[in-house]
Amino acid sequence: MNPFNKFWWFVAVSAVITCMMFYYVGWIFWQQLAPDQKTLLISIIERNFVYVFTAVFLIMACFVFVMDGILHVYILPAKKLTDETHIINSVNPSHRIKIEGSGEIIRLAQAINEGADRYENLRQHVDEMIHFARTESEKERNILAAVMSELSEGILICNSDGQIILYNKRAKQLFESGSDGKPEQNVQNGLVGIGRSVFGIIEKKLLVHALDEIAAGLKEENKNVSSFITVSREDKLLRAEAVPVLNHLKQFTGFILILEDITEKLEKESRFDSLLLSFTRGVRASIAGIRSAIEIVLEYPDTKKEQFDEFTRIIHQESITLGNMIDETFFNYSCRFNSMWPLVKMSAGDLVETVRKKAEEKPGVIIHYVKPDLPCWIKVDTYSMITAFLFLLEELKNETGQEEFGCNIECNNKFVIINITWEGNPLKIETFRVLDKKIIRIEKEGKPLILKDIMKHHEAEAFSFVDRNAANRSCIRLLLPSTGESASENIRNLTILPESRPVYYDFDLFNQPGQVPEMDNRPLTELIYTVFDTETTGLNPEEDEIISIGAIRIVNNHLLRDENFDQLVNPGRTLPFESIRFHGIEQHMLQNQPSIEQVLLRLFRFAEGTVLVAHNAAFDMRMLQMKELSSKTKFINPVLDTMLLSAIVHPAHANHSLEAIAARLGVSIIGRHTALGDAIATGELFVKLIPLLAKMGIYTLKQARDASQKTQFAKIKY
Amino acid sequence: MPPKILIADDEQSIVVPLEFLMEQKGYQVMAAYNGEEAIEKIISFNPDLILLDIMLPIIDGFEVCQMVRSNPNWKDIKIIFVSAMGREVDIAKGLALGADAYVTKPFANAEIIQKVREVLDTNR
Repeated sequence: MNPFNKFWWFVAVSAVITCMMFYYVGWIFWQQLAPDQKTLLISIIERNFVYVFTAVFLIMACFVFVMDGILHVYILPAKKLTDETHIINSVNPSHRIKIEGSGEIIRLAQAINEGADRYENLRQHVDEMIHFARTESEKERNILAAVMSELSEGILICNSDGQIILYNKRAKQLFESGSDGKPEQNVQNGLVGIGRSVFGIIEKKLLVHALDEIAAGLKEENKNVSSFITVSREDKLLRAEAVPVLNHLKQFTGFILILEDITEKLEKESRFDSLLLSFTRGVRASIAGIRSAIEIVLEYPDTKKEQFDEFTRIIHQESITLGNMIDETFFNYSCRFNSMWPLVKMSAGDLVETVRKKAEEKPGVIIHYVKPDLPCWIKVDTYSMITAFLFLLEELKNETGQEEFGCNIECNNKFVIINITWEGNPLKIETFRVLDKKIIRIEKEGKPLILKDIMKHHEAEAFSFVDRNAANRSCIRLLLPSTGESASENIRNLTILPESRPVYYDFDLFNQPGQVPEMDNRPLTELIYTVFDTETTGLNPEEDEIISIGAIRIVNNHLLRDENFDQLVNPGRTLPFESIRFHGIEQHMLQNQPSIEQVLLRLFRFAEGTVLVAHNAAFDMRMLQMKELSSKTKFINPVLDTMLLSAIVHPAHANHSLEAIAARLGVSIIGRHTALGDAIATGELFVKLIPLLAKMGIYTLKQARDASQKTQFAKIKY
Repeated sequence: MPPKILIADDEQSIVVPLEFLMEQKGYQVMAAYNGEEAIEKIISFNPDLILLDIMLPIIDGFEVCQMVRSNPNWKDIKIIFVSAMGREVDIAKGLALGADAYVTKPFANAEIIQKVREVLDTNR
């Protein structure tokens, strides 16, 4: 019960009891009076009724005044003192008590504030120590998270119930983004997110089969990885590899899914297979014709001339067919000549410039390089190509005794030609033959790398000759395939380590209990929440429209800032001027935005299976309810309201606005009156309210909802 | 005096028809089955044109071409590469080393005869 009401109930009951006692004493006194004394007393009272009534009234008024003073000076300040001390001790150690009340209460508050100062200083010191101790391990985890983000394979880590507890950017792209990079609006497909079920994106049967296989493999200790093929939203074929995660007791606690898009690879393989197949068939048919005809000619030398001519025509025809077939196959197969070496696109000029700088140090050669007018683009494995270049220069220096060489670059649409020139005799053929096969370096696997191999991997050729076009200068020419105009390709984003770990990096959920269908009895700390807020054209749900929805998820008591929902909505009507001043959203910003029906479908997917949280949720829920029919979405999720939860934990405070609660709990609001900004602030408040509710014995969703219903704010209807 | 042609190829099935074809067209023909033999025949036979395969044993066709081009006495000898190596980079290399033409296997008889004529005509 509200402390205000409780006090007045107490005062009223005390007053009634006091009155009854007075009445009893008066009655005893009346019984002892003689009849003439009674008459005299009545006549005195009647004569002085005004004075008697005034005296009683004044006594009553004084009593009420004194009681009210006690209430406001002692009782309410004491209650606030208790509440605010709880805040200091639990969620906001920087909070200080500023209350009005009696001198004793104020001195008590000062004493508590002083204690809080000392506690805070101590805590800050401890925090600094902990922070310092954590920094190193945090750095390593950040590197791991950043590396995961840049992996070309999609990674999903799930607990044993199939809940996603970690994912990387690539996994999200594979399952969610379309070719235009925008999220798909199809409600049938699940989303990738912390706490979401992996069965929403990968068929359950496939995963169950893979996990069964892993379980069987673990028992026999021979195989512990299972692979399967699945299909992504865009009908891309994904090869998934499931790897189990075991705890120290070798018990299965979850699994890692490594996903690779093999669509293109399979297409290439299948193209090559069909090419090979048709080539084999074609060759067999032609050879059969040639062989049969030639054998007849050999076995029957007396064949008639017409028949002989016919057989030779067949042989001729089939040989032409064979030749054409080889040409065609060679042309189609040429794409597979591309080496498996990772080749990087760069301009030949840059390559030569790098070589020029390095060559000055070792082998101590000066290159006079003439820069071409156009950038000539080539694809090279820079390390091996530069090594080959330097090797050639060193050998040239040894063979010719020269230390200065010329270099020029020419290019056409097929080749980039790099000439290393010098005056004097060209390299002897035998010398270049030896040089072509000389070991440049030994690779890790112990395999020797020679110039010929490097050139082969680049589809290139290097050879020595005399350039008659360049005043008979001796020359070593490098012929590299030209790769056309544009420069950049496959440039990755720079990996910048975040100050704190990306929020989707959280291993604690491995210890989550199993998925319990009954949400009501689950602790508040274990539930998944979607905290949302709406901006509207006004405050009347019957007439006004939603123009913006922001939402954010809370999983494992953490606000997942990366998993948010921020969408403007075209309300299909003009915005009232007053509302523009309030939320800053202008008409032109909404023109190309989706309708509320489209947006609610996406929000429905986003919030599926979670508890909805909002500040003054009744209003937002009513706004959503108004669109139930047109959007065909019914938000049946359980709902919690931070306004009501605040009223539960701080009943003595009259103000439960977002700003007031934020100030009390030490949350700074950024982007107030933007849907996402308010949703984030609400989420932060909610996370801080959970431990305060626990102190009051409210642990589960049901307990929180029941307590909310009892607050006076719960009676607000929209 | 008919022009002299040296056919340098290790595949007999190529050499025999080419020999026959060139003789039919009135050329004087000689064959070599590896790079070393080709150089010897160039010295002894002094051909006007060489039909030169690339993948020759002992000394490959590119090297034979380089040797011919590096010897001033042989500067007038024409070279046509006749090879199964059909990559553009091989053709570019062959021509850069001083060959006059490049024909990929398989070829039509008419095509090779035409090429031989064209190349020999440029000399006259």
